[in-house]
Amino acid sequence: VSADSEVIGRSAGEPAAFVLIYDRHAPTVHRYAARRVGVHVADDVMSETFLVAFEGRAKYDLGVPDARPWLLGIATRVMRKHTRLEARAWKGMTAEIAASISPDLIEQASARVDAERATRRLETALRGLSRADRDTLLLYAWGDLDYAGIAQSLGVPIGTVRSRLNRARRRLREATGRQGEQEREHGRTDPAAQHA
Amino acid sequence: MDELTLLRNTRDDLEGVSSSALDRGRAALLDHVAESFPVLATRTRRRRRRTAATLASVAAVALGTTLVLTDVVGFAGWRGGADPAAAAALDDASRAAIESEDPVLARGQFLRLEESAVNVGWWPASSDPGEESSVAVFTATESDLYIPADTADAWVWLRPLARTYGAGDRASNEIADAVQSSNVAEVGAEHVERLRAPGGRWYGEPAASRADFDALPRDPYRLLNFVYRQQLGSNPASPDQVAFQYFSDQLRGGLVPADLRAAMFDALAMIPGVVFADGAANLDGRTGTAIGRVDQDIRWDILIDPSSGRFLGERQVLLEAVGNLAAGATLSWTAVTTSVVDAAPTGGTPYGDLEGVTVG
Repeated sequence: VSADSEVIGRSAGEPAAFVLIYDRHAPTVHRYAARRVGVHVADDVMSETFLVAFEGRAKYDLGVPDARPWLLGIATRVMRKHTRLEARAWKGMTAEIAASISPDLIEQASARVDAERATRRLETALRGLSRADRDTLLLYAWGDLDYAGIAQSLGVPIGTVRSRLNRARRRLREATGRQGEQEREHGRTDPAAQHA
Repeated sequence: MDELTLLRNTRDDLEGVSSSALDRGRAALLDHVAESFPVLATRTRRRRRRTAATLASVAAVALGTTLVLTDVVGFAGWRGGADPAAAAALDDASRAAIESEDPVLARGQFLRLEESAVNVGWWPASSDPGEESSVAVFTATESDLYIPADTADAWVWLRPLARTYGAGDRASNEIADAVQSSNVAEVGAEHVERLRAPGGRWYGEPAASRADFDALPRDPYRLLNFVYRQQLGSNPASPDQVAFQYFSDQLRGGLVPADLRAAMFDALAMIPGVVFADGAANLDGRTGTAIGRVDQDIRWDILIDPSSGRFLGERQVLLEAVGNLAAGATLSWTAVTTSVVDAAPTGGTPYGDLEGVTVG
């Protein structure tokens, strides 16, 4: 199996070869986009991402064998015009996660949080992040990239990735964990609402 | 679980891309390729079939059948309670609380809630997403909140840059130093986020009012049953632990009225497993009595001043070594101070909106 970089290199002279990149990575791009903007918009994001990628293939760094960071970076930029849809897609998170989290995932004793309540707050926390922090966090959590991949993806140094991730995680932690309780109780004291 | 695990598990069960969408995207790409380069070798389209994602099963909690909706009969009171020393301290605190008076805000005044907190975060020991081992890194935050006399008015919230520090070992310190210096480089050490939101609707979340406390029973027995019932199934920890943490969470908010605080102290004394942890516990310079409850490897403490009935803060103490933390380490803590002030800082980002999303 030839590396992505090899295929992309070849596609300079043999454009149709680029379809192999699509076949390899379209489901990954779709999966990442679906989590951010919902399944239906993800169809369009996936399609557009590869059109943009094809146009930009001459600029691909052939020293990077795996094209995933590059493609997810493009998808991230394509999704920027869908920010409102993204916020709406997160609204649906609560029910999904409440059904999908099983108690045996609770392994970090320090972070034993009420999954149901926590999820309800994820959406708010994600909305409160800056775009740069949000992209970094979601490439990590939903795009399954490592720090180096995210750095390639967004064109920033690894140190910046680490810093953004830290800030984003702190915000999430505040919202979903103990400190989030504190924030919530500043304004929200209805025990029934916590149960909802 | 930590916040990343939570996020990762979110939307994990979304359906994969449909074969028709894949085909459409592929056709669009092929068209695009063809437009750019008129001569194009045709390829046979492959159809992909995606199996439908399986839905995670939902665990049902069966405990509900034993509880009764009126809270007159319930889980509270017949399974033992706090140990005698804890019960005595809580009783003292309850008596003091009922005799104390809540701060009264005149028009134009603010209730100021100052909070210092340290939270543990678990970082992957390396940047590889498959990395299993993690190290603890601490984040210290300060928060300064101004709540107006009329809670529908604008609240103001100051949030200085958090300070990240290691647990003393090399891996943890290195991560913390990198994070801290990077944060400082990005926004400056003196950075303070300032938020302003009518009704305290931070980041657009709908507000609730302090009047919600009015609905809670002042009878400790009914209050505890109410909490057991309301929190049922909401947390994988035991109902007793959930109830303990519920009271801790509410008290930490700093807004619980004195009569309810008294009832909460009495209700805490009725929870099995509640122990007297420390008669002179120190939390960020405040000394008080620690009342705790052990859940798995952690003791959750609330710190109270039995003589005044004031809530001082809370903390979690690790009872067995985990990762780079030794037994006895404090995982996290929060200390709160309330006061009445005549003015709040001006300015602030409305609702804490940041770029890209409008909060309605």
